Amino acid sequence: MTEPAIDANSLTKRFGEVKAVDGLDLTVESGEIFGFLGPNGAGKSTAINMLLDFVSPTAGTASMLGLDVASERKQLHSRIGVVPENYGLYERLSGRRHVELAVEFKNATDDPDDLLERVGLSQEDASRPAGEYSTGMGQRLALAVALVGSPELLILDEPTSGLDPNGARELRELIQAENERGATVFFSSHILEQVEAVADRVGIIDDGRFVATDSIEQLRENLDAGARVTLRVGREPEGELGDLPNVRDIEVADGTVHGTCLEPDAKLTLIDRVREMTTVTDVRIEESSLEDMFASYTSNASDDGDTETAVAGGVEA
Amino acid sequence: MSVRTVARKDLADAGRSKALWAVTLAVVLFTAGITAAAAVTVGEPAAVLFGQVFQIITVALPIIALFVAKGAITGERESGSLRVLLSLPPSRRDILIGKLIGRMALMVIATLIGAVATGFVMITLLGDGLALLVPFMLFLALMGMAFVGIGVGISASSASDGRATAFAVGAYLVLVAMWSLIFRVIQVGAVELGLIEAGSQPAWLQFISLFPPNRAASAAFEAVRSGGQIFATDPFASVWFPTLILLAWIVVPALGGYLRFRDADIG
Repeated sequence: MTEPAIDANSLTKRFGEVKAVDGLDLTVESGEIFGFLGPNGAGKSTAINMLLDFVSPTAGTASMLGLDVASERKQLHSRIGVVPENYGLYERLSGRRHVELAVEFKNATDDPDDLLERVGLSQEDASRPAGEYSTGMGQRLALAVALVGSPELLILDEPTSGLDPNGARELRELIQAENERGATVFFSSHILEQVEAVADRVGIIDDGRFVATDSIEQLRENLDAGARVTLRVGREPEGELGDLPNVRDIEVADGTVHGTCLEPDAKLTLIDRVREMTTVTDVRIEESSLEDMFASYTSNASDDGDTETAVAGGVEA
Repeated sequence: MSVRTVARKDLADAGRSKALWAVTLAVVLFTAGITAAAAVTVGEPAAVLFGQVFQIITVALPIIALFVAKGAITGERESGSLRVLLSLPPSRRDILIGKLIGRMALMVIATLIGAVATGFVMITLLGDGLALLVPFMLFLALMGMAFVGIGVGISASSASDGRATAFAVGAYLVLVAMWSLIFRVIQVGAVELGLIEAGSQPAWLQFISLFPPNRAASAAFEAVRSGGQIFATDPFASVWFPTLILLAWIVVPALGGYLRFRDADIG
C-alpha cells in the first residue's frame, strides 16, 4: 500500500488564547482529489500553513508523501507543487522568469513556455513583468509555478480566487488532468460548488476542526438533505401521518404540511398520505442545495436549534 | 544551489529596480563628490584628504547600506513572494544567506564604483593617493557589508517593513549618530563609579570606542594611512583588530536574524 499523500495527527495551532486549528486529523490518500472546505476564518489556511511549514504547530505532527513537513521539508518541497494563499509575485520579473526560477530551485527539466501555455498565458504575457498582470493572470502564473517538476502532490489554497468562470473551469480541467497523470490534489475553497465539481472526497472544517469528512454523496446522505415538500391543505390532518419511508421532519402548522423527502418517490408517498386525510390545495417543492448542507455544517449554533424544533414537530400531529 | 539562485535573483531584481542605480549614485556622490570638494578647498596632501573623506563617508554610507538591506526579508514577506519562495525547496536559511549575499554584492558594487570615482578625482586633482585607494575601497566595502548584515538581521527579525525601517533608523542613531555621546556617557559614568581614573583608556573602553562598524572601519583605515602594522601588538592601533570587529558585524547580526526568522510564523 502506498503512503498517504497527507497525514496529519492532532494538528493544533494556538495563537495566544485563540485555537486556530484544534486537533485536526487528516489523511489524504495517494491519488485522491481532496477538497478542503470551510468558511473564511475556519482554520483552513492555518492548517495548510502548518503543512507547508510556514507556521509551526503548537501540537501534533504532519507528514506528506511520507516525509515530515518540517524536518524533511526540502526534499518534500521538491516533490510537491503549491499555490499558497496571499502569495505575491516579483513585480519586476517576467512571468517566464518566475517559472524558470522554480525550475532551477526544483532541479526540474520543464520547459517554462510549455507550462505557461498549459495555464493559458501567451508567450507575450510571459515576457511581461508580473507587476502588470491582472489577478487572474497572476493566479495562472502561480499555477504554472506549482506545476513545475510534475509534482506528486498539488496543494492549492483557494486557487479559484481571482479567476473568472472560464478560468475556474480551466482550472478544474487542469486539476483533473494532473490527477490523471497521477498527482494527488489537495485544494481548499470556501465555495462549495468548486469543490463539488472535482473532489473525490471533501473535508469540511469549522472552528479549527473537521465537522465532516466524506464523499459529497455521502455527506448529502448523512445530512438527509433531500427535497423540502410543502403542502397547503384544506384543513390540517387530524392524527398521526405515521412513519413514511424516506420522509423526515414532518411538520403540521398554519394550514400546511411540511416534510423532507430523501428519495424522489418519497414526495409522492407524502402527498398520497396527506391526500388520504385531507385535501391538498397547493404543492411546493424546494430541492435542498449543497449550499444548505454546507451552511448547516458550518453555522452550527443557529442551525442546530432549527433542526431540533423540526424533529420535535415531526412527531406531533 | 538554492542560495546562489536566491542571491542571483535578488541582485537581478535590484538591477531592474531603480535601487541599484540610486544607491550607486548616492555612493558616488558621497565619495567622489566630497573628495572633489575637499581636494579643491582644503589644499591638503592626498593622504590627509583620504582620511578626512573617509570620516565623512562613514557617516553617510551606513544609512544607505541599512536601507539597502532592511527590506530584504520584510519586503518579500509583505508582498507574499516569500510564501512562493518557501513553497519551493529553498529553506529559510537558504533565503536569508542568499539575500545577505545579494544585498552585500549590491552594496560592494556601489562602493567600488564610488571608490574608483574617488580615486579618479584624487589622481586628477592632486596627482597622488593611488596607494591608499585599495585600503580605502576595502574598508568602505567591509563597513558597507557590516551595515548590510545589520540591516538583513533586522529585516529577518521583523514582522513588517515598517518595523524594520524603525529598527534600521534606530541602529543608525545608536551606532553612528550618537555613539560619541554614548561613549562619553560610559566614560564619565565609569569615572564617577570609580571604575577607571579620569583620562585613562583601559582596553575595554577602547573596545567600546571601536565597537560600531563605522568606527572600526575608520580605525582600520587610519592605521593603514598612518603607516601602522597590520599585526601590531596593540590591537587598538592595529589593522587586524578593527577588521575582526567588522567581520563579526558581517556575520553576527545576520545570524541573530536567522534564529528569529527560523522560528517565525509566516502567516
